[in-house]
Amino acid sequence: MSRDRVGLSWRPQLAAGILTNLDRIDVVEVIADDYFDAPRSKTAALRTLSAQAPVVLHGITQGLASTVAADPKRLSKMARLVETLRPASWSEHLAFVRGGGVEIGHLAAPPRNGATVDGCCANIDTARRMIGMTPAMENIATLIDPPGGTLSESSWISQIVLNSGCDLLLDLHNLHANAVNFGYDPNEFLDRIPCSRVSTVHLAGGRWIGRVLDDHLHDVPDPVYDLLGELAARASQPLTVILERDGAYPRIEHLLAQLDRARAALAAGRHRRAA
Amino acid sequence: MTSPAFEAFLARIYVDPQARAEFLADPRREARKAGLSDAEGEALAAIDRKGLEMAAASFKAKRAGR
Repeated sequence: MSRDRVGLSWRPQLAAGILTNLDRIDVVEVIADDYFDAPRSKTAALRTLSAQAPVVLHGITQGLASTVAADPKRLSKMARLVETLRPASWSEHLAFVRGGGVEIGHLAAPPRNGATVDGCCANIDTARRMIGMTPAMENIATLIDPPGGTLSESSWISQIVLNSGCDLLLDLHNLHANAVNFGYDPNEFLDRIPCSRVSTVHLAGGRWIGRVLDDHLHDVPDPVYDLLGELAARASQPLTVILERDGAYPRIEHLLAQLDRARAALAAGRHRRAA
Repeated sequence: MTSPAFEAFLARIYVDPQARAEFLADPRREARKAGLSDAEGEALAAIDRKGLEMAAASFKAKRAGR
């Protein structure tokens, strides 16, 4: 029997739909940063949720893929939340989010070279020591081919995963977007990364603005389900698959149908692997 | 190549329209003014200009909460 889990990202707008359908949602992913400075009542509500369903934490503001050392104050907030909730895992992004005191406001792709591999690995190690758990690190979508790179995206990610010992959170819409935007084959990308180190998968949708924008406002497109099947055929370990939706919320049944489609893609990939 | 100063430079041209315009007018000059190395200046001179404008617009929308 497969131990794969398929679930949804927690958003207040989806709360009622999630809580009334926990029999069809294996796991809930919560944005950790929303709770860093939250009142006690909000954190208590999160504890109540975690008593009803497995919860994993996802960070967005640590900016660990950087030559700048991670901020211990920000990491300590994550540490407190992990201590409170004791989730099975937490994750962050292979991104930098600030530089020279300037907040970019979102995830930016750093130069892909040895300096950022080393900086990211050092920051993952700091995070591991402060929090007691190693974050799974997520590949990001980017509209700009970041300057200053000497490594391919797949090589850069692989070096960070292998050198730091972290797991990979593989966002398949981010992979799809970057493959379209910068003209590479996403299946070859899967051949080049250590798929055995993928613990978690993100699914989402986006739109075309001259390049693919990963906006989390649209349904998961067909090529992303295809990639999920390809990943499941390459990986033997259980996968936690999370559907991310950040707005233009449809009825919960519409999202649950996408979870079912993800389960079908996983099953098809597992079947191919077993054949 | 690349350093905290390089990341700071990128952050500035991603969020500051005037800095971005000055950079696009003469990338090597702006890199030198920021104290970046010649190699970093060359990398910036070859920047993905279409992607820079798209990313800057996307970051601006995110900061505005859209």
